[in-house]
Amino acid sequence: MKCYICAEEGKSTDAVAICIVCGMGLCMDHAIRQETELWTGGYPFPAEKIDETMPRILCKYCAMALKKGAPKGG
Amino acid sequence: MVSLMKRSVAELIGTFILVFFGTGAAIVTLMISKGQTPPNSFNIGIGALGGLGDWLAIGLAFGLAIAACIYGFGKISGCHINPAVTIALWSVKKFPSRDVAPYVVAQLIGAALASFALAYIIGMGAVTTGGLGATAPFEGIGYFQAILAETIGTFLLMLAIMGVAVDREAPPGFAGLIIGLTVAGAITTLGNITGASLNPARTFGPYLGDLVLGGTNLWANFPIYIIGPIVGAVLAAFVYNYLSEETV
Repeated sequence: MKCYICAEEGKSTDAVAICIVCGMGLCMDHAIRQETELWTGGYPFPAEKIDETMPRILCKYCAMALKKGAPKGG
Repeated sequence: MVSLMKRSVAELIGTFILVFFGTGAAIVTLMISKGQTPPNSFNIGIGALGGLGDWLAIGLAFGLAIAACIYGFGKISGCHINPAVTIALWSVKKFPSRDVAPYVVAQLIGAALASFALAYIIGMGAVTTGGLGATAPFEGIGYFQAILAETIGTFLLMLAIMGVAVDREAPPGFAGLIIGLTVAGAITTLGNITGASLNPARTFGPYLGDLVLGGTNLWANFPIYIIGPIVGAVLAAFVYNYLSEETV
């Protein structure tokens, strides 16, 4: 699989990852790795953030869309 | 997890809301029905307007306030808003010992503030007619009968909490609604027996308010509302754990 974004730019680069949202193939330069916080608990226990985070790979388009659509506050 | 101070403040506000709206409904019911002569001492006014429907309305005022608090504060403090629930969770090692006293103190302060707020907003009629919504055994209900009734009522409440919230397999999102409705149902049945406290803090607030503001001194009944709810809640927690434990 080739990197979709590189292909858009007229280049041919092997993909090393896939966007978890849209499935786009991504090269190392265009893959965005985000760490997602994990929480445990909730009624009747106080919620607690655990030390581990869950990684996810996104393309720049999905990363931007998720950032804009993220709930306010928290 | 947020600090113990913030969690205690959440418990204080949650218990304030529970007592304000719950006992507030009882006070208003007593004040509305004041004009009607109670036919006997078993009828103190609640029930004069709509029979058991009065208790259902009071129960729903408690239950819906509890549901709102659970959805609002559940993730912050756990939203116990009831010393019996805090102690029961501690008894089955689901809640740290060091946090028990701060939670219980915050719950008692929240309940007391709610009773004083009701007296301030409604006026002295809330004390003289409504008794600030204080609980006491009704005519013909003995001390131990009242303890047993409170034990059974709080057993049901804690059983619901264990099944719908503590259990890892509990479906998410339902806890507030189900627990609120459970309280409403228990109050409908037990209201005209013990006042259906199910919560030592809920009784503490009105008792303190009545004492300070010149209402009826009911403190002799307080052990009913300490022993009954705590025994019922602890029993439910242990029974649920025992019955749900899989044997190999």
